Amino acid sequence: MNSPFNAPFTTDGLQAKPPVVSIPDQVAKMKAALLKDIQRSAYVYRVDCGGCNGCEIEIFGTITPVFDAERFGIKVVPSPRHADILLYTGAVTRSMRMPALRSWEAAPDPKIVISYGACGCTGGIFHDMYCVWGGTDKIVPVDVFIPGCPPTPAATIYGFAVALGLLGQKLKTHTHIEQEGESVPVSHPDIPYKLRVALEREARRMAGYRQGRDLVEEFLDQLDAKAAAPLPERMKRFVANQEDPRRAEIFGCLEGIVTQAIGG
Amino acid sequence: MFKLLKEILRTGDATVQYPFAPYEASKDFRGKPEHDAEKCIACAACTIACPPNAIHMETDLDAGTRTWSIDYGRCIFCGRCEESCPTGAIGLTPEFELAVMSKEDLTVKAVFQLDHCRSCGKPFAPLKEVEYVGKLLAQTGGETERSAREEQILHTCPECKRKNDLEQVSRMKIAAQMETSK
Repeated sequence: MNSPFNAPFTTDGLQAKPPVVSIPDQVAKMKAALLKDIQRSAYVYRVDCGGCNGCEIEIFGTITPVFDAERFGIKVVPSPRHADILLYTGAVTRSMRMPALRSWEAAPDPKIVISYGACGCTGGIFHDMYCVWGGTDKIVPVDVFIPGCPPTPAATIYGFAVALGLLGQKLKTHTHIEQEGESVPVSHPDIPYKLRVALEREARRMAGYRQGRDLVEEFLDQLDAKAAAPLPERMKRFVANQEDPRRAEIFGCLEGIVTQAIGG
Repeated sequence: MFKLLKEILRTGDATVQYPFAPYEASKDFRGKPEHDAEKCIACAACTIACPPNAIHMETDLDAGTRTWSIDYGRCIFCGRCEESCPTGAIGLTPEFELAVMSKEDLTVKAVFQLDHCRSCGKPFAPLKEVEYVGKLLAQTGGETERSAREEQILHTCPECKRKNDLEQVSRMKIAAQMETSK
């Protein structure tokens, strides 16, 4: 029999690779037939292979009344012997390989295996650690990958729908090849580069990198705008119009920098 | 009993309609990072910033190309790429429907051309990056056009630049000048 327990490990350079379990053709055919016309509930068994528990919390979020996965008959069960779907979370640590395989063996055929979260898909941020195999697909055949760190409950429901063949996948691989004459314009070419850098730096210092960038773009658009009113007046009005005192404070500081640059 | 039914009716249905109706992600939701390859200058800032190495870059000197790739399966949606991108080519979107049947569909790639040095002919940096730097320098200097000499210097690799400088210095015969000025 095809037992994953005593299959030999292979090596790739210095790195050992665990054997991937294969499914017999007959089981694969059974699974295809089942997925073609699934008219019953799908029970889910959760296998935590060394996750941080973030994914588990989102799975529980999915079965709460707000997202209510039981609408579709998806129910979390406490034993792999009841399961139709095995949900693997975590980067598959060395010590969790055997328990993961045992639950895979224990689940009745045909079963669907879902890799859940960034760790389950590829090992995520732990992909190059010494103690992980880096992904569920390294040990068992996986049907659906749900990326996310962690996947939100809505993403989880979408993943289940893809696994059960109710919805199609949206993501497709593609390769962009640079065309002749492709070039990137400098943003805000009318604003002096040094002033733009000073504004960006100040906005990011005050509001953090991400929001700072959004705020400084808004401000630079104001500077760029072609209007009859002179610049200092326009800026003053823009700052005064801010309802949020935090935004007003940040834009006030940016205005100070511009005024200094004009005056100096 | 009646009271309970009334309460139920008053509370209404808390369950979201997704997947039968579109699910509205909240503001600043960190979803799939979308890469606009046309705006990308292949500077590799995102590659260095990416904590789980989901974004990867490989330079093929023989073909003269640099391949940028992202693995959504490894991405932790932290937004560091967006923060570090100088041109705003990559940014998080509210897109969350990322589940796939095959792992290959999680990877997106972009191939960029490398610029060949005008002196030695070897590839040294992505063409778009060099062009972008040229534009920034021109903007800093308040110019609109680049002279032929500036163009030449811009498209020369650092090694050749150093060599050319040394050659120029030796041609100027600094040692001889220093002796005469004594």
